[in-house]
Amino acid sequence: MKLKDILSPFTAWKHVVREPVTIKDPFSREGADRYRGFHKNDIETCIGCGTCEDICQNAAIDMVPVEGIETKDGDSGLRPQIDYGRCCWCALCVDVCTTNSLSLSNHFTWVDEDADVFRFIPGVDKKDWDNEERGWKKPEPNYELYEKERVPMRELHPEERDKSFIEMVKGYSKEEAEREADRCVECGICIATCPAHMGIPEYIKAVREDNIEEGFKKLYETNPLPEICGRICTHKCETVCSVGHTGDPLSIRWLKRYIADQVESEDYKNILGTDGIENNGKKIAIIGSGPSGLSAAHYLALMGYQVKIFEAFDKAGGMMRYGIPEYRLPYDQIDKDINYILSLGVEIQYNTKVGKDVSLADLEKEYDAVFAGTGLHLGRSTRIPGSDHENVYFATDLLREITQGKEIHVAEKIVVIGGGNVAMDITRSLARLQNQKYGKVDVTATSLESEDIMPADREEIVESREEKAIVDPGWGPTSIEIENNKIKGLHVQKCTSVFDEEGRFNPKFDESQTKFFEADMIVESIGQGMDIEYISKDIREQMEFDPRGRIIVDDYFQSGAKWLFVGGDIIQGPDVIHGIANGHRAAIGIDKYLNEKA
Amino acid sequence: MKDIIDRIKTKYTISEVVEQRKNLSFVTVSKEQAISIITFLRDIEGFKHLVLLTAADWIENDKFQLTYLLNNPTEKIDLGVRVFISRENASMESAHHLWEQVATYQRELKEMFGIDFPDSPGVDKPFILEGWEDIPPYRRDFDTKQYSEDTYFPRPGRESNDPAEYMKKKLYPNE
Repeated sequence: MKLKDILSPFTAWKHVVREPVTIKDPFSREGADRYRGFHKNDIETCIGCGTCEDICQNAAIDMVPVEGIETKDGDSGLRPQIDYGRCCWCALCVDVCTTNSLSLSNHFTWVDEDADVFRFIPGVDKKDWDNEERGWKKPEPNYELYEKERVPMRELHPEERDKSFIEMVKGYSKEEAEREADRCVECGICIATCPAHMGIPEYIKAVREDNIEEGFKKLYETNPLPEICGRICTHKCETVCSVGHTGDPLSIRWLKRYIADQVESEDYKNILGTDGIENNGKKIAIIGSGPSGLSAAHYLALMGYQVKIFEAFDKAGGMMRYGIPEYRLPYDQIDKDINYILSLGVEIQYNTKVGKDVSLADLEKEYDAVFAGTGLHLGRSTRIPGSDHENVYFATDLLREITQGKEIHVAEKIVVIGGGNVAMDITRSLARLQNQKYGKVDVTATSLESEDIMPADREEIVESREEKAIVDPGWGPTSIEIENNKIKGLHVQKCTSVFDEEGRFNPKFDESQTKFFEADMIVESIGQGMDIEYISKDIREQMEFDPRGRIIVDDYFQSGAKWLFVGGDIIQGPDVIHGIANGHRAAIGIDKYLNEKA
Repeated sequence: MKDIIDRIKTKYTISEVVEQRKNLSFVTVSKEQAISIITFLRDIEGFKHLVLLTAADWIENDKFQLTYLLNNPTEKIDLGVRVFISRENASMESAHHLWEQVATYQRELKEMFGIDFPDSPGVDKPFILEGWEDIPPYRRDFDTKQYSEDTYFPRPGRESNDPAEYMKKKLYPNE
């Protein structure tokens, strides 16, 4: 060993007197303005979609329930918990966050002897950095991991469509559908809101991967009317879409339509594997071939039941055919869905009104169980003075007659009372007919509800206006002025609120603000009532009704008369997707009931 | 900073300039001119200190991005020089002759991204990954999450919930 080797360690002592290059107090040194430090989460904005958990490459995030945060439509009630034993502060969770609730502060020192405290729920477990403005936020704009804007749907131009009933929405091309599907983060928040709880993220994934067969099978698991729903579903799912919080929600409805449109009728059975279903020898009668009846028929047929539908009209579809105009839902698309259900062995006896041509008691005798989905067909009247005039019509009657090809009365100046989708349907149908007859449109729709709370879908209102109809909401009708037995118009007064503090329908008016809509024809579209005359008194005595006269059913839509299941618009809705969900559920209920009875 | 960039432009081609903040800018230059520009910045413009050399994988464009972050201690400004190189057979001229420590960065990039720096001292020696046999882990086609799941175990007591499943349990358990 050389002398140098012995002495050299001591030479290090010379550094004792040197100015240190390290920082004396690392704990009070602040991070840079965009430093990616500890997590913050605005838990009021967060919806618990779990996209942060999904993207985390270190599996550092768990979605956990938090006391005081309720699980509800559009919010899972879960919040991200982060394990700092795994986090690498890459901030992908922040960059992908659908609501922009998650961010990183620039704080970066945290000392504790208990390792478990480093697993925490940002925003819930209070931290010093919760109010720190500096740190990493998703930079705006043009820093998105997915497209914020939806792929626009190609539609007929208003001038091309306002004279005819041809379908206005053209549907996505393959490229458009795949691009739209690519925006989905697969969180599944939408599933709870869909009345049929469709496997939305899964069928969107199938579109993205161009696996139409898989997507098609997924649709039929919960919805046997995909061509129809792909066009006219009220798409409540889209109102809660997580991507919709900072951009456009996914076009879930159009993607459903895209899948159904790609499959030819002759391939349905092959793809869905529904050839050769074994008959179980039991017979079910269904009253009405609307969405709930067809849905029940479909799922019962798959279980092996022999199903017969009794339909009052000469064609199937109920309100889907006789209520929804052709420009929104072409008849051949209704037929495509229905024909497949018929191909499963379901029979329809047309022009047969239960209660008149055949009694419900007979059905009880001949069949093992009965499902009634008879819908809401009776128009409701405002009962204002003058509403009994012959040129005051119900929207449902006119829509039905248009479908039936009857020539309806179309005046030059028309007022529609109502602000729901049916009101928009009749307004837009009449606009088309006025255009055909007079070469101009003069139809005004007026509703109690102000524009922000109108029950109609937003696009219906926009498209009505594009087609030159006037939508003038926020007015309550008071009387119809009639002179020499001719309608002169509708008097209205300002509606200041529709619902009271308890949320009950209890409209308030400002009588000093009035208006007069000139018209020579008036259409009432303020809701529909049910017609259950076909349920005879002795059967009704077995059933239960609530104080407002509505039928009470259990979770499986079974009424007090155990063999009678009731669903669709008369129970829930009114809309197609609730009907489908009810029918599916009732089919399961009927199967359960008959198995337990056997 | 603008003056410096203007002076580079008289001799070289810059395809993009990003001014991150007053004392930090980035320039994008070609692979062929990069080392020459960095030499110019060091020797003429006073960027005597190499802060770091790093890379990013732009798999969509089939490119790696190299960033040489340089510091001018007198002016107290930073300039990042960005170079895009092909992802396939990724290779870049070594800069270890300018700063000795570049060799260490280059060794790291060789291991983590698979970017080669021919003639860089010790570039093929293992850096921190012992016995690594997979594709370089900083490449985006390396499945980090799968690796985590295969290699590590979850901490005891950790539990997560799928939002859709959890909502079903809470809102419609019987359907």
